[in-house]
Amino acid sequence: MKVRAVQFSPALGHVEKNLEFHAEQAAHAVKDRQELVVFPELSLSGYHLKDIAPDAALKPNGREWRRLEKMSRGIDIIAGAPVEEDPGIIVNAALYFSRGRLRHMHRKVQLPNYGMFEERMIFKPGEGFHAFKIGGFKAGILICREILFPMLAYLYFLQKTDLLIGISNSPQRGIGKDGISSFQLWETMGYVFSQFYHQNYLFVNRVGFEDGIGFGGGSFFARAGLGIVQKAKYVDADVLDAEVRSADVRRARLASGYLRDEQPGLVLQEMRRILHA
Amino acid sequence: MLKIDCQMVEKVLVAFIKDSVIKNGFHNAIIGVSGGLDSAVVLALCRKALGSRHTFALLMPYRASAPESLSHGELACATFKVGYEVIDISPAVDAYFDRYPTASKVQLGNKCARERMSVLYDHSVRRKALVAGTSNKSELLVGYSTQFGDSAAAFQPIGDLYKTQVFELARHLGVPGDIIAKKPSADLWPGQTDEGEIGIPYTDLDVILHLMVDRRWDEGEIIERGFPLPLIRRIRAMMINSQFKRTMPPVAKLHARTIGIDFRYLRDWNK
Repeated sequence: MKVRAVQFSPALGHVEKNLEFHAEQAAHAVKDRQELVVFPELSLSGYHLKDIAPDAALKPNGREWRRLEKMSRGIDIIAGAPVEEDPGIIVNAALYFSRGRLRHMHRKVQLPNYGMFEERMIFKPGEGFHAFKIGGFKAGILICREILFPMLAYLYFLQKTDLLIGISNSPQRGIGKDGISSFQLWETMGYVFSQFYHQNYLFVNRVGFEDGIGFGGGSFFARAGLGIVQKAKYVDADVLDAEVRSADVRRARLASGYLRDEQPGLVLQEMRRILHA
Repeated sequence: MLKIDCQMVEKVLVAFIKDSVIKNGFHNAIIGVSGGLDSAVVLALCRKALGSRHTFALLMPYRASAPESLSHGELACATFKVGYEVIDISPAVDAYFDRYPTASKVQLGNKCARERMSVLYDHSVRRKALVAGTSNKSELLVGYSTQFGDSAAAFQPIGDLYKTQVFELARHLGVPGDIIAKKPSADLWPGQTDEGEIGIPYTDLDVILHLMVDRRWDEGEIIERGFPLPLIRRIRAMMINSQFKRTMPPVAKLHARTIGIDFRYLRDWNK
C-alpha cells in the first residue's frame, strides 16, 4: 500500500483554510497514485487551541465532516481534529475516512498537561486503543504523547497490527550540542515499534510556529524489523511517500519471535497482582 | 553545558523569522543595530530569512555613545549586505532633558532606549516592516533591559539563547571578529559594560540561570556545582524582581472573561 505523510503548518483555528489544504493534498495524492494520505495531529485546527477549541471543533456530520467524507471517495485520509461528539464535550481525535465515510476514530487518551501543554483543560480523554482495517492491513493509531508510552503500542501489538500510525504536534525543544533532543525521542520510539513490536510505523509530525513554539517535523517511516528507512525534513514542510508491505511484518515476526513468545496472560496476571498489592 | 548545534539553531530561527513576518502579512523586518553582538546576530538571521531587500537596519547613536558603536553597526550592515540609515537621537533626547534635567544615568539610558524604540516603530510603518527584537535570554531573565525600550519588538528571535550561546552563534554566522571580541555593553554611558552593571560574568550568570530555569536545580545542587549561595540568591532575586518586564500589565477582572486572564487566545489566532 502506498502511503503519504503530509508534514505542514496548519493555521491556528482557521479550519476552512486547513480543510482547503487537506483537499488540495488529497487531490495531489490521488494524482500520484497514493492510497492513504496522513496528516498530523490536529491538522484541521492547529495545536494551541485554548478558547478557540469550541469554535474549531468538528461536529460529526457537520459541513467539514461531509467535505472529508467526500474527499475520501478518491483516497483514504487520516486527519487530526478537535471533535465535539456531544454538546460541550470535545475530544482530540484522529479520523480515518475511507470510501466516503468515517471508518475509525481514535480519541487521544494521554493528554499532556504540564509546562506548555494544557490539553486536559480542553479535551475529554479517550478510553481505548482499537485496531481497525486499512485496506489489507490491520492498523492502530497513536496520537503524540501516546507514542511515548510503549505499553500503549503494546496493546496494538497484541491485536496483531501490521501498520501503526503516530500523528503528532511535537514542539521542538531541548537544544544542545547534538541538536534538538525532542527529535531523538520520536525516533527512538520508531526504532522500538519497528524492532520489538514488528510494526510498519508511520510517524507524521507538523511544522511551523504558534507564538514562537516551533514544531519540528522529522516525520518518518520505520519498516517492520528494519528501523527508520525514510525521513522527512526537520523544521520545514515536506511530504514523505512510503510503500507499506505486510511481508515485512511476517519476516520480522519470524526472525525474532517476539509476538509468538509474548505472554499477555502472564502480564495481565502480574498487573493484577501489582495493582491490588 | 551550554554548547549548541549552531546549524540547527540557525535553521529554527530562520524559519521562525520567516514565519513571524510572512504570517502577519509582512515581507520586511527592521532592526535597531547598536554595533553590539545581539543585534548583529539578529541582523544576520533576518538577512538569511528574508533576504537583503527585505531587511533594514537603523543605527541610532546618542552623542555620548562610543564612536565604535556606530562603526561596528556599519560594519555589521556591510558584512551582511543590509541597507541602513543613521538617525542621531541626541536632538530629541536633549530637548527633553533641557526641559526636565536629570543627573540620573538610568533615566538617561531609559530615555535613549525608548527614543530608539519610538524611532524604530515609526520607521517600521514607513517601511512596512516588523521590528525584530534583539534581547537575549540572559538579559530578559535578569531584567537587564528597558521596559518598552530595547525589549519592545514584534518578535524575539534570540530570546531563548543565553548570551554565551549568542557568542557561539555569532561565530557560526560570520559576525565580524571586532564585534565578537569587545565587551558587551548597552553603551548608555562611556565605559559601561553589561557584566560591570549586572555584577557577574556572563559565563557564570548563564550557567546559573540555565541550571535554575531550564533544569530546575535547587540551591543546594547549584552550590555543589561551585557557585556561592549569595550569588545564586542575588540572581534569583533579579529574576523575581524583573518579572513585571516579562509580562503584560495585569487587568482588573470584572467580567466573566478578562483579557490576560481567561480570554485565552494565542497571538497567532487564525494565522
